[in-house]
Amino acid sequence: MSQWVIKGLRTGVKSTRYPRAEETAAGISPGLPTAATLPLEVAQSLVARCPADALELAPAGVDVNLRRCIHCFRCVRGTNSPLGWEHSYEWATAVSGGNDQKRQFGPAFDRSVHILVVDTGDCGACLNEVRQLNNPYYNMHRLGFFLTPTPRHADVLLVVGALTDHMRVPLRKAYDAMPSPKRVVAVGACALSGGIFGRSFMCAGGVAELLPVDVEVPGDPPPPLAILHGLLVAVGRKPPARLHRAVSDSVGNASG
Amino acid sequence: MPAERKQVLDEVAARWNGRVQLSPEDGSESAYRLECEPAELSEVCNWLFSDLHYSFGGLVVEQLTRWELRYVFYGGPGAGWLHVLTHLAPSDYRVPSVSRLVHAADWHEREVEDLFGLVFEGHPRLGDFVLHDDAWHEGVAPMRKSFDGRQPVTHRAPDQNWKPRQIVEEAGAFLMPIGPIYATATGPVHFQLETVGEDVIRVQPRLFYAYRGLEKIAEGRRAEDVLLIAERISATSAFAHSLAVCQAVERICHMEVPPRARALRIFVAEFERLRHHVAAIEGICESTGLAVAAAQASILEEDLLRLSCVLTGHRYLFGLGTFGGLTINLDDSACNRAAAQVREVAEKLSRLERMLSISSSFLDRLEEVGHVSAGEAGDFGLVGPIARASGVSRDMRKAQPYSGYDQIEFEVPHESEGDGYARLRMFFREAAQSVRIISTVGQAVPGGQVRAPEVSFRPGAALGWVEAPRGAALHWIRLGEDGVVDRYRIITPSFANWHGFRLAAENFAFQDFPIILATFALSVHENDR
Amino acid sequence: MTSMGLLLVIIVALCGAGVVLPLAIEERRTPAIVGWFGACAAGVLLCFSGASLFAGAPFHATLWTIPSLATLTLSLDRLSALFLFISGLVLLPGSIFAAGNLHRYMGRYSLRAFSVLYFALYATLVLIPLSADAVSFLMLWESMSILIYLLVNYEDEMEEHLRAGYLMLAVGEAGTLLIALAFIVLANNGSLEFVAMEAGGGALGEYARWAVFLLAFFGFGVKAGLIPVNFWLPQAYAAAPDAFVPVLAGATLNLGLYGIVRVNGDLLPVAAIGPGLVALIVGSVTALLGILYATTQSDLKTMLAHSSIENAGIITAALGAGFIFVALAHPSLAAIAFAAAFYHMVNHSIYKALLFFATGAVDSNTGTRNIDRLGGLIKAMPLTALFFLVGALSIAALPPFNGFVSEWLTLQAMLQSAGLASTGVKIVFALCGAILALTAALAVTCFVKAFAMSFLGMPRSDSAAQARSARASATIPMAFLAVLCFILGVTPTYVIPVLDGAIAPIAEQARAADALVPPFFAGNVHHGELPASFVADFHALGAQVGQSVMPGRGLIVMHRGGAANPVVFAMSTTYMAVVLALMLLATYVVFRLIVARSRAVERRAVWDGGIRRLLPEMTYTGTGFSNPVRVIFEAVFRPTTVEDTRETVGKHFRAAIRRTHGENHVLDRLVLNPIADAALWVSNGFARMHHGFLNAYVLYGLIALIVALLIARFSS
Repeated sequence: MSQWVIKGLRTGVKSTRYPRAEETAAGISPGLPTAATLPLEVAQSLVARCPADALELAPAGVDVNLRRCIHCFRCVRGTNSPLGWEHSYEWATAVSGGNDQKRQFGPAFDRSVHILVVDTGDCGACLNEVRQLNNPYYNMHRLGFFLTPTPRHADVLLVVGALTDHMRVPLRKAYDAMPSPKRVVAVGACALSGGIFGRSFMCAGGVAELLPVDVEVPGDPPPPLAILHGLLVAVGRKPPARLHRAVSDSVGNASG
Repeated sequence: MPAERKQVLDEVAARWNGRVQLSPEDGSESAYRLECEPAELSEVCNWLFSDLHYSFGGLVVEQLTRWELRYVFYGGPGAGWLHVLTHLAPSDYRVPSVSRLVHAADWHEREVEDLFGLVFEGHPRLGDFVLHDDAWHEGVAPMRKSFDGRQPVTHRAPDQNWKPRQIVEEAGAFLMPIGPIYATATGPVHFQLETVGEDVIRVQPRLFYAYRGLEKIAEGRRAEDVLLIAERISATSAFAHSLAVCQAVERICHMEVPPRARALRIFVAEFERLRHHVAAIEGICESTGLAVAAAQASILEEDLLRLSCVLTGHRYLFGLGTFGGLTINLDDSACNRAAAQVREVAEKLSRLERMLSISSSFLDRLEEVGHVSAGEAGDFGLVGPIARASGVSRDMRKAQPYSGYDQIEFEVPHESEGDGYARLRMFFREAAQSVRIISTVGQAVPGGQVRAPEVSFRPGAALGWVEAPRGAALHWIRLGEDGVVDRYRIITPSFANWHGFRLAAENFAFQDFPIILATFALSVHENDR
Repeated sequence: MTSMGLLLVIIVALCGAGVVLPLAIEERRTPAIVGWFGACAAGVLLCFSGASLFAGAPFHATLWTIPSLATLTLSLDRLSALFLFISGLVLLPGSIFAAGNLHRYMGRYSLRAFSVLYFALYATLVLIPLSADAVSFLMLWESMSILIYLLVNYEDEMEEHLRAGYLMLAVGEAGTLLIALAFIVLANNGSLEFVAMEAGGGALGEYARWAVFLLAFFGFGVKAGLIPVNFWLPQAYAAAPDAFVPVLAGATLNLGLYGIVRVNGDLLPVAAIGPGLVALIVGSVTALLGILYATTQSDLKTMLAHSSIENAGIITAALGAGFIFVALAHPSLAAIAFAAAFYHMVNHSIYKALLFFATGAVDSNTGTRNIDRLGGLIKAMPLTALFFLVGALSIAALPPFNGFVSEWLTLQAMLQSAGLASTGVKIVFALCGAILALTAALAVTCFVKAFAMSFLGMPRSDSAAQARSARASATIPMAFLAVLCFILGVTPTYVIPVLDGAIAPIAEQARAADALVPPFFAGNVHHGELPASFVADFHALGAQVGQSVMPGRGLIVMHRGGAANPVVFAMSTTYMAVVLALMLLATYVVFRLIVARSRAVERRAVWDGGIRRLLPEMTYTGTGFSNPVRVIFEAVFRPTTVEDTRETVGKHFRAAIRRTHGENHVLDRLVLNPIADAALWVSNGFARMHHGFLNAYVLYGLIALIVALLIARFSS
């Protein structure tokens, strides 16, 4: 067994410095489209290209509703007038209305939060990205986040997937079995809006249909750092981002 | 026509003279259809499966002017595809089951019974499969054309009288329920283990908690959007599935894929296989509690995910495939850099393999655990590395080459023991081989366009297939006018391998169960669709 | 007539009334007779035996003389008084329980018959320890065997009951035969009175001594449940009616031990270590086998029967240790071992009766004793569950209950063998000590399973789901015994001196109380008589706490050694109980404080992984729980596969997996079956001799005559 100890030591420290410092490695995020000021005609063609209704026609151009974006790249690839693209990862937002006193974490939760991950019917991408949080690069334990297999120990319910009919009862039971205070983090476009699966006979189109969601993390899938940001937002250690990027408030910021 | 195929066709004509109508499948050079009456179905399928050793690909049911049931078989290199077809009148819902003889068809028939309401007479285990009997409305068959899949259904309160089937009759036997929410970050699946303590006597996975009705919601959507759905069947083999859809549509529309795109598709597909196998190795290490090895493998997985993102813009290769090629051109230098990085990963991987092969406490948990024999693997129609670990060495890349795999030199590795360690070795060997293919292809990517000119959709139907990381994936698409999808059938390797999972997990102790599960590298999402 | 004689007459008269009255009144009133007369007789019995046990009141009565055999006498010493007192403790609640439990037999079986047999047995149980000559003893012993046989066969329409009864009768008769032979050897000077036997024992040779020991040990061992003569016991206990089985386990089993103690400890005290080693080894192995089979049983009653075998084994092992210490002239160690044995016997009678009551209550409320079909009873039968838990904790030897004290003393006594000279003996002690420790650990497993799988979780059958709470006639006796379990657990320093008196007849010089409960506590001993180091250790241990509260004695059991090692071991269950109670209280208070400060307790359904409904079929069964033990000790159980079939449709669709395992008890395999086979072989040989040829029979006669003449010639 000693060879494994040596191997582990020789690998050295791999962990990111986020959230104390920005992570700059390549390939940590697929990025998201940015709102842009565009002529109406171009804007209309771009909006039509979007299969997920994430692009909205604004008076001055195109607004982006990040909650719906599924990274299909159709607004940047195969078009002559691509939208801007930002490679950020701090995407999580707090849902207003989730400020019920019973759901607020006290200071006891600053360095120890147990997370139950429930997959309510995703494609495995979000789930896999959640799993990456335990790898040495992201190592969520250093921030006091721990995955738990039982709702009895869980403080945060992290939901991925589009909420299938068959997962309604298990999800509800898991939420009910959690002790208060508890918060719900919805991860991924499917959990926010149903994503590509939308609303159908089997999919309810988002976790909010069943449970009160406190934090939303967009992306299809959101990269590990975005999910980590979501967890930090859930415990109040990071400020939330905004999910609706409008042309009006990104003037001068958005690159064409 | 290759000699093998001609021989089979002659034999069909001679043996089933008059009872089976033989004709080439539309628009396909390697597929033949064998039409027969429902009464003959079982015998014909059994003959192909048991006597000619064709593999059972899957069952495609379509509600055309009448019911069309298509049992898809494929043979080894040169043998091509045989589609056994039978038709039923629109008002007829009964068809003889073939799965008593062709056990690989078992779950396919159960799925069709649940979703289409067709009854397979003689099948001993119908009901409670895709649609859970204690949650779904009795008698509602969502895949029928008359069912509107866009409308939400009213939710049914759980049936309090429903009980799972127990078959173990022994004093003190009980049912150990696991899941659907059972471990840290796993897909939803419920296991019913029958046991009297210590040993697992019977395993019954109850799947389809993640059933998103993809085949149904694809209907009426445009083909490009269905491509997005295909990518999201299972993110860990997103590109493979999108490639299968692309090939099916390209076959329908007679599209020519530029050589550069074909080479890059192999490049990316093998890259995806490598990443999947690294993740599978990580899962096995983690299941045995070998934390350092699991961490090493997960570092490699993250490296490959980041490399995917750098190379294609997305960590899971979403949005890369498109009809007639790829959405972006991966330039040669990027490919070479990627290939170099992949070789680095391969080197670390082989070091990891060497260390694992001398960790006796690790091997103890895998060797002679979760054994599947070649005969069982064949009967259950297992595919991919799992089947090859048991000595069933069929691989789509060799058996029915696509995208130019026939122009590359490579061997399909296989093992014969069929235990957990054989499966682990398969993942290592296939990963190493994928790296070799990546290097070969990456060195000489042909120039030219990476995408065919704009698609002109035509109505028609075709099969697209790939060897996905977990094994053979078959996608059947029927296009209507203007590229609107009329029927989309997804046959995934996880579906086949989940069916055979019980072979490995039964008669081993509880503590072996998670390890055997990890060595199967199954995806709930790919199975459930 | 003395007052003691009067008490005995009252007991016998009450028993007589119990035999006669039911024949005269309505059958439905019979249970009341059993309850009232049985309880009253038990009360008088407790006074009668208590007077002797606590105050040393003598009793001696000469009945009548049978010419040429013996004078029938009844005599009471403290040893007999101890056994009678235990019988009284069991019969008092036992009769009340029986009265309530009998109602279920109304209309199916004759309650009159039960009462007649019950009281007849009652009287024999009282008289056996009193009888002071071999003739009356054997007559009573034989009547007891027959009465037990009839009571075990009470529910006589079940075939397995009949089989169990016959087996028991056969083995019991063999045992009686061995006992009779032992008495014959003992009565070498012609007198069958115990006093004479005791006096004449010294004249016996070594072989005769061995013969007496082995005959008596295995003859009485039948009733006590020792290997290899206990194979009848589990079946018979399981067959016996619930109203009677507590008496079987709490009184008649003890009489087997009484016989061993009386003959081998009193009439002809063992003088060599050999017999002691036999008792030690037989006892230890009995204990291990008993608990192994108990752990893997799924029938509560059979499980308790196997557990009785285990306890008898522990007691016998302690007795064996005592015999060895006596033979090696370590009187104070011997006294500790004997005290441990008797303490354990008292405890076993009490908690086993308690557990049998609880099992009977469960059986009559759910109709099943199969642990695999029970579960969740704590909701419907909270009191029964509580008392079963007390019994289970006691039998699993957990403080502060009584089983802990006696098992702790037993193991401590065995550990003291380290000071012996002989290495061989030390090794045997070490091995037996290890076996007993393993036994104690398995006992915890066994009773965790019994309690958890029967009373916790979900009901696994409709009958368990519809259980109602037990009636008062069951809960009151259980409560009585549960309280006794606790009292005996926390007051060892009061119990040991009493047991000390009972040891007197078998080990004259030995005083356990001297060693274990030093006179220091009595307050009338000058400290100067004790070594200074001892007193210092004593104060360090804080043993004087409680001295003023409970005057007379402290609350610490401690083995007082020599000057070099003043305190060999010390333990106080009393303080343990106090500390445990305080810790529980503190936990509760802290919990309440925290909870009161934050928010109310939320109660949610059991987490089941998110399935739509958790079914009773999804909970662990008793068999499943104990399966690891079965697997680990496979060499002992050696299960045989009776059936292992897979029913399939087509090649791979499974319709059923049927598995049945047969289990041949290790004793059946190694002892009973070879004997049965040999008997069959011999009788087949005799059968072959009967072929009907006249000449051959003449030849047999001739050979017999020659053999007889030869014997006569050489023996004279």
